[in-house]
Amino acid sequence: MVLRETKPAEPLAFDTDKCIGCNRCLEACQIDIMIPSEEKGSPPLVAFPDECWYCGACVMECPTGAISLQHPLMNQVRWAEKSSLTARSEA
Amino acid sequence: MYQGREWPYPSEIDQTETLTADVLVVGGGIAGCMAAIAAARRGQKVILVDKGAVKRSGAGGTGIDHWESAATNPCSRVTPEELHKAMMDDNDGYNNPISHYIECREGWDRLLDIEQMGGKIRDTEDEFKGAEFRDEETKLLFAYDYHARYTLRVWGTTFKPAMARELKRLGVRVLERVMVTSLLTKDGKHGSDCIGATGFHTRTGKFYIMRAKATIIATSRPARVWLFSAAYPGLCEFRPLQCIGDGHAMGWRIGAEFCMMEKSVRAQFSASGRSYPPYMAGNNHNTWYPATLIDATGREIPYVDRDGNILPDVRSRCYPAKGQRFFLKGGNVEEAKYEYLGPETLPWDKLKEMGYKLPFYADLTAMPEHERKAIWGLMVGQEGKTMVPVYQYLNNAGFDPTKHVIQCYGAGWTSAEFLPQERQLFGAPGGFMNDWYLMTNIPGLFAAGDALFSSNCYGHAAATGYYAGRHAARFAASRSLHDFDAHQLEQERERVYAPLLNKRGFGWKELNHAICKTMQNYCGELKEEGLLLAGAERLSHYEKDIVPYTSASNPHELMRLLEVHNILTVAQMILEACLVRKQDCPPLEFYRADSGGQAPKPFLVIRHDGEKTVCREVPLDFAGDVKENYERRNQDYIEEKEVG
Repeated sequence: MVLRETKPAEPLAFDTDKCIGCNRCLEACQIDIMIPSEEKGSPPLVAFPDECWYCGACVMECPTGAISLQHPLMNQVRWAEKSSLTARSEA
Repeated sequence: MYQGREWPYPSEIDQTETLTADVLVVGGGIAGCMAAIAAARRGQKVILVDKGAVKRSGAGGTGIDHWESAATNPCSRVTPEELHKAMMDDNDGYNNPISHYIECREGWDRLLDIEQMGGKIRDTEDEFKGAEFRDEETKLLFAYDYHARYTLRVWGTTFKPAMARELKRLGVRVLERVMVTSLLTKDGKHGSDCIGATGFHTRTGKFYIMRAKATIIATSRPARVWLFSAAYPGLCEFRPLQCIGDGHAMGWRIGAEFCMMEKSVRAQFSASGRSYPPYMAGNNHNTWYPATLIDATGREIPYVDRDGNILPDVRSRCYPAKGQRFFLKGGNVEEAKYEYLGPETLPWDKLKEMGYKLPFYADLTAMPEHERKAIWGLMVGQEGKTMVPVYQYLNNAGFDPTKHVIQCYGAGWTSAEFLPQERQLFGAPGGFMNDWYLMTNIPGLFAAGDALFSSNCYGHAAATGYYAGRHAARFAASRSLHDFDAHQLEQERERVYAPLLNKRGFGWKELNHAICKTMQNYCGELKEEGLLLAGAERLSHYEKDIVPYTSASNPHELMRLLEVHNILTVAQMILEACLVRKQDCPPLEFYRADSGGQAPKPFLVIRHDGEKTVCREVPLDFAGDVKENYERRNQDYIEEKEVG
């Protein structure tokens, strides 16, 4: 058993195979939530994930498509096939 | 996880850099960039300071989908004067008559500017050829009122990078990752001329002294005054986390005048709280207008005109009613007065009576293809913080707007119902009082964009930014640099670094939450003298007894903490503004439990004279005849435009 920090959200996920460690994402972030990795060529560390505004500037700047941004679970909206609604009403 | 990790940037806390400029711009968002561009084009040496990085910073950093009030665009059927009159009238005069005239008059000029810088404002690829909302000759696309055509649909993700390139081309010195902490005044005196500012680097801690002949505050409106979440502070408000009204706090501390600070509205956007991220949930407002809504059984919800007549098709949602010149719709228009009221879906109470079932859904499936693509792909996509977190995210998850419908939360576009005491500065909130040059009462201190009182949207920010830049340039050309006051400077340096010396103490989140709880309890929807005074006393306790014991462990945290010190100052200013207005004032959404029932007073403009708050009454029509007063002061600009 170990002690672990419980995070309310992890806004950014880096694909380490795609990331070239250029830190352009870090430089594009107006809130400065990332710091450079200690290992050259590796993704930056998301040091202040709670401060993320979820604007997506980091993803827009990434030259290799290595970053995915995801809102916390509570903010993921529901969507449905329209036909499922009409089917429900007909049933 | 990173506990104890060494701060990755070198410490420059013991270093000071002194810079000089003709015009200093504080804030690198839309207004700040346009201000710097205007001043630099007039041959001034310009420094622009931004806490973030200009390419994508500010509320509009990742985009904008529509540009309001472009009344002088070649297809507009509304004059700037008509539109301005409607905007003032719709708020019963409690609106900024000068800044909104500038917006109506020069907004289109700024779009042309941005296009020249490389921004995309036309459908050059003919993606929407033949669409109802497209002008085939100019290839401009319009939103909302397709007859009046004063609001444009634009590709706003291209705008900020274009501005950043233009700043570079013009040789503007851009200082990024620097937080401006105070405004310097002549001889260090309260209320005297602004002669520059101080700041520090938010990665290295280096101290900056910026001497300038004119200073433009282009910072945001305040935020996180009532709303806070320690888990999701970045989602507390509509605008970015660092946009909390630094300019308001710094201006108040040197004696600048503020207007409408008593106005706050029941919260509309707080995705850390009750609402969903803007534009993500189903709705039919703003970016999503004129989306079709359906109920839980797939039954379409009717749109009606201002007289309650059911509209027959999608097209008619975008035209004024019979006998109406134009309607108001967009970011800040919730429900316009009858004269300016556009089509809306039937209200919830009526729908309930008619047997419509919750939840509702936004349904683009049966809309004409151009309308569907305008909402899903252009508006949702080009609007700030939608391209990645909404458009790409939902597309990647399999959402198909021709087949799927998105659930709505609540009955309006805010997608939630907040409590009365959960408030925010939204819908044209308070800010710096300005004259016809967008100068404040402090000589040499100008304000633009969201720093101004009753600000609204992207077009307002760009137009007022450029205008302030022009007039600050002219002011600077007639002034010389002043030496700063050593005592004022040393006091500020000490204030800024003190939290780094406190190894233990209150952190920024704890203080922010305390301020918000105080404001919810003492300055909620219904104000009362005794409660306001008790709130002011509590905030004063935080200022005197808590702030000296706040602590930060690195320059980033220091920035967050000094922001909260600014939020505290803003909260104090709001309480002062609420205390001077003794009567209800519905247009400001201001209600007093102890209101005497007299008619509302006009603008109550407040400032701090160093010891106490002083207030003066200003008539709502203080700007006079806007066309005449604008033209008298902007002949050079008008002539420049005529020459082309």
